[in-house]
Amino acid sequence: MIYLDYAAATPMSEKAINAMKPYLAEDFFNPSAPYLAAKKVREAYEDAKNQIAHVIGAKGNDIIMTAGATEANNLALSGASHILYLITEHDSVRNIARAHGGEEIAVDKNGIIDLKDFASKLTDDVDMVSVSLANNELGTIQPIVEISEIIKKARLSRLERGIKTPLYLHSDASQALNLVNISVARMGIDLLTINAAKVYGPKGVGALYVAHGVKLHPLTLGGGQENGLRSGTENVAGAVAFAEAIADAHEHINGNRKKYEKLSEIMRRELLDCFVEPVFLGSRKKQLANFVPVCFPGIDAERIIFKLEEQEIYLSTGAACAASKGEKSHVLKAIGLSDKEINGSLRISLGEGNNEEQVVTAAKAICKVVGEEYARING
Amino acid sequence: MGKTVYVGMSGGVDSSVSALLLKEQGYNVVGVYMKNWSRDLPGMKCPWAEDLADAKRVAVKLGIDFKVFDFEKEYHDKVVNYMLAEFKAGRTPNPDIMCNQEIKFKLFYEVSMEQGADFIATGHYARVKDGKLLRAADENKDQTYFLYRISEEALSHTLFPIGDMLKPDVKKLAAEKGLHNAYRKESMGVCFVGDVGMDDFLKEYFPVTPGDIIDAETGEKLGVHEGAVFYTIGQRHGLNIGGGLPYYVVSKDMDKNIVFVSKNLNNKEIWTRELKLTDVVLRTNISELGVFRSAAARSPLGTCERSEDLAPAAHGRLPLGTQTARRADGPAGRDPELEVLVRLRHRAPLIPASFDGEILRFENEIKRPASGQSAVLYDGEICLGGGIIE
Repeated sequence: MIYLDYAAATPMSEKAINAMKPYLAEDFFNPSAPYLAAKKVREAYEDAKNQIAHVIGAKGNDIIMTAGATEANNLALSGASHILYLITEHDSVRNIARAHGGEEIAVDKNGIIDLKDFASKLTDDVDMVSVSLANNELGTIQPIVEISEIIKKARLSRLERGIKTPLYLHSDASQALNLVNISVARMGIDLLTINAAKVYGPKGVGALYVAHGVKLHPLTLGGGQENGLRSGTENVAGAVAFAEAIADAHEHINGNRKKYEKLSEIMRRELLDCFVEPVFLGSRKKQLANFVPVCFPGIDAERIIFKLEEQEIYLSTGAACAASKGEKSHVLKAIGLSDKEINGSLRISLGEGNNEEQVVTAAKAICKVVGEEYARING
Repeated sequence: MGKTVYVGMSGGVDSSVSALLLKEQGYNVVGVYMKNWSRDLPGMKCPWAEDLADAKRVAVKLGIDFKVFDFEKEYHDKVVNYMLAEFKAGRTPNPDIMCNQEIKFKLFYEVSMEQGADFIATGHYARVKDGKLLRAADENKDQTYFLYRISEEALSHTLFPIGDMLKPDVKKLAAEKGLHNAYRKESMGVCFVGDVGMDDFLKEYFPVTPGDIIDAETGEKLGVHEGAVFYTIGQRHGLNIGGGLPYYVVSKDMDKNIVFVSKNLNNKEIWTRELKLTDVVLRTNISELGVFRSAAARSPLGTCERSEDLAPAAHGRLPLGTQTARRADGPAGRDPELEVLVRLRHRAPLIPASFDGEILRFENEIKRPASGQSAVLYDGEICLGGGIIE
C-alpha cells in the first residue's frame, strides 16, 4: 500500500497507542471520583492537557478538550454574532459561521487571504474572525501574524472610539499542527483549534485553546467539566494519546519538514513526466511541506483515484467529507479554477510512512493512468 | 465501434454486470448514474453518493465513459408528487412502477437518445423478444411487474442484458470479473424508499392527525391512530390495539379520517372475486396471442360499440406512457375476454383470471389488494400489461 492522503487521516503512532492503553482498562476511573486511584487518573489527564498546551505555547487550563476539530470550531464560533471567515475554510467553520452572521473573506489564486478585502469588511460590528492556519485542500499557510496585527489595530481603534464590541481571532490549525511552529501569543490568536486525528493520534479527539477573557457559549451542559464549556466525563485515554502524538510531532518538526519538502519535490518532478501537463496548485513558498495539490485539466480525477486504488495507492480529490457528498470543492472554486480544472484535481498529502521509492512508484502510476485516461477520452 | 448503449448503473451488481456484458458484446457502452433522490430521511441515510461511487468504480474498471444524469427535480415532480397524491386519496401507490414509466424508461431514454445512444439498458430482470416484454429467466427475480407501463418506443430501444441469467450466476460472473460490488448488500428500495421507510417518509409530508380506529364488524371504537394516510389495507402492525387475534386494516374513510379494522378473516371487505382496474395499459400485439375467449357471456361491456374502446386507458389519474391501450380485436359482434395470469405484487404467484378490459375475475376468492397497487397480466411468459386496482 502507498498511502498519500495524510491530510484526511493519519494512522496512530505506536507511542500514542501504548500511551492510551492503560487508561482504557486498568486506569479506567472517572477522574472526578473521590478516591486516590481516580486522582491519579486526574493527574494524568491534567499532565496530558499541559503537554498539549505546551506545544502551542499555552497552559493546560486554557485548553478545552473536545471530540475533534469540528466540535472545537463550533464551540469557538458559537457565541459570535458577526463572523468574518475565509472563503476556503472547512465546512465545520463555514456552516457554524453562516448561522452566526457569517461573511466570507476572499482569497487570491494561491488561496492566500486577500488582506484588502479583509480590512474592508472588518466593520465595528464584527466580533469574530476565523482564518485557518493552513488550508486542508491546498495546504496554503495564511499570514496569521499580519491578520492579527490588523485585528489588534481594529481593537485599539474601537477602544479609542468607545466601541465595546469585542473582536477575536480564531484559527483552525488542524492541518498545520505537526509542521508549523505555533505560538498563540506570538501569533495573536485568541481561539485555536487542534486535532489529534491529523497528527498520528486518535480520531474523535481535539481541543480548543481559549485565551483569557474570551467568552464562549457551551454546546453541552452537564457536570461542568472543562471550565464549564464542555461537560462530560473526560476522555483521558484520548487526551493522553493526543499529548504523546503531538509531543512526538513537535520534537521532529524540523526534520519532518525537510523530509516532506524533499519528497514533495520528487513527486512534483516525477509528475512533470505525465502526458498531460500537471498544474500545481497553491504557492510552494506558502504551503505545508507535505502537500502536493495538482490538477490535470481535462482528466476526471475520480477515475484516477479508482484506478489507483486497485494498485493500493490511495489519494483523494479534495476534502474527504466534501468528496463523499459529491460536491465540487468550494476551495478550488474560490481560487478561480474552472469546473474542468476542479474535476481534474488531486490532493496528494505525504506523511510518516512515505519514502522516496514510494513517491516515485506512486508518481509513475499516476502518470500511467493519466495517460490511459487521456487516450480513452481522445479515442 | 459498435452501437452505443447508455446503461443505467445504480452501483449494484445487476446493472454492473449488465454494463460488463454489453462491453464484452462489443457495444460502445456509456454508464449513467441517475440521481433521483439524495435526501436523508429520519433513521435512513440516503446512500446515493456511495452508490454513485460504486457505479463509477465499475465503469472505470470496465474502461467505459460514465455520466451522472440529475433527475431529482423530475423525480420529485413525477414520482413523489404522484405518490403523495395517491396516499392522500387513501390509496397505496407503487413508486417503482411510476419511476420506471416516467424516469428510467422515459426521461433517461429520451436524454440518452438525444446524446446519441442507439439503445438504453438497465439491470432489470426481464426480457424482450419481438417487441414483447417477457418474464425473466430467473422467475424468482422477475421484475416485469415493475415494467408493465413502460412505453413501446422505449422498450424497442431497450436491452436487458441479464434477463436470461439467474441471479447467482450474475453474482458469480461479477466476482470472476473482479467487480468489487459482486456481493454488495442489495439496496432496500428500488428507487429510493423501501417498505420499511414508507411510514417515516410519509410523516415528512403529512402531519399527525389523530383519528378513530373502528371495528368494521361491530362499529365499536377500538383506539386512535395518527392519521388514516399512514395505514394500508391489509396492514396488521402499528395499530396499537392489542389482545388476542391481530386486527387487519380492512378499509379507510379518508374524509372522516377513520381506519376500519377487523379480526375476522372472513370479513367481506377482505375477500373478493373481482377487481376493477383503471389506467389500464395493454401492450401491443395482444390480438396475436390467442388469449381471447370467444364467448362474451360474462362481459359487462355488452355492446360492440363499447368494445371500440375496450380499455379505459388515458382517462385515468395516472399520466400514461407514450403508448395507449390497444383495442383488442375479438370476433365480430362479441366482446372479447382475455384469459390471463395475474400478478398482484412483485414476486407474488401468478393467478389465473379473465379480463374484459376493466374487470378482472378470479375463479376463487382472493385477498383484496390495497387500491392503488398494480395488477399485472401475463400470457405465459409474455407481460400483457396491467392496470391500477381501484
